Amino acid sequence: MEAVDAGILGYTEALGLQEDLLGRRIKDEIGDTLLFVEHPAVVTLGRVSEEGAYDVEHFERTGVPVVKTGRGGKNTYHAPGQLVVYPFVDLKKKKKDISRYIDVLEVSCAGALNKLGVPAAGNLKRRGVWVGEEKIAFIGIAVKKWVTYHGISVNINNDIEAFSFMDPCGESDIRVTSAREVLGRELDMIEVKKVFSSELTRGMEEEWT
Amino acid sequence: MDLKLSELAGTASEAVITVWHVKEGDRVERDQDILEVVTDKATFDVPAPVSGVVTGIFKKEGETVRVDEVIARIEP
Repeated sequence: MEAVDAGILGYTEALGLQEDLLGRRIKDEIGDTLLFVEHPAVVTLGRVSEEGAYDVEHFERTGVPVVKTGRGGKNTYHAPGQLVVYPFVDLKKKKKDISRYIDVLEVSCAGALNKLGVPAAGNLKRRGVWVGEEKIAFIGIAVKKWVTYHGISVNINNDIEAFSFMDPCGESDIRVTSAREVLGRELDMIEVKKVFSSELTRGMEEEWT
Repeated sequence: MDLKLSELAGTASEAVITVWHVKEGDRVERDQDILEVVTDKATFDVPAPVSGVVTGIFKKEGETVRVDEVIARIEP
């Protein structure tokens, strides 16, 4: 699977890049592709975000923009040091099963975190990837013409304090963690992207029964 | 052909219809987007599985549907 690393890129600019890659994947001009990016601090709201799910005043005061998006899911927070992965996968060529796709995203993400020394796992009852009872990765996807876009964000080295000013994914009882919190040290983002690229490629390319 | 959202099963047991792009009586081509639904984690532009005429729409915008419910019928 091709991987593109866009480095640190604004959310809106990255959305433009996503639309470009989505369009090209739909037209079969490119193969399945992973886009890696880190966003400057931003709160994003999904299609089913609810009023009052984040502290408007806090994010206004700290100058963090809030962007409404077309992805599934509710509100979340991005910042540099957090790995964001947008996979463009043609499910027609795999299996027309959006649930299965999300399972593969979660399992691959947990697998990559395990390789990096973080004991993460999926949770049968709740979407996302967890370390014990704490959430480390967040999912919000969209599918057009059976091609996936949007994706998963994983707290690696980023500050997680901002999550305390919102109900991540609209769930008020969630505690959030990061790889840095768990390991007590920062990870090299280049290495992190390499491991995620390898695990996601394996998950997306293996046969889905 | 009865249209269901079984591809979403497991992602959520239900989804909300946000937009219908077609109405009863419309002719649709295979792969044309006919509606948008959202679940807790996914937004899904649903393409027509076959070409034909939309002979029935059973759920309105804003309605919640279970993934095994028939939401529309397309006659080839």
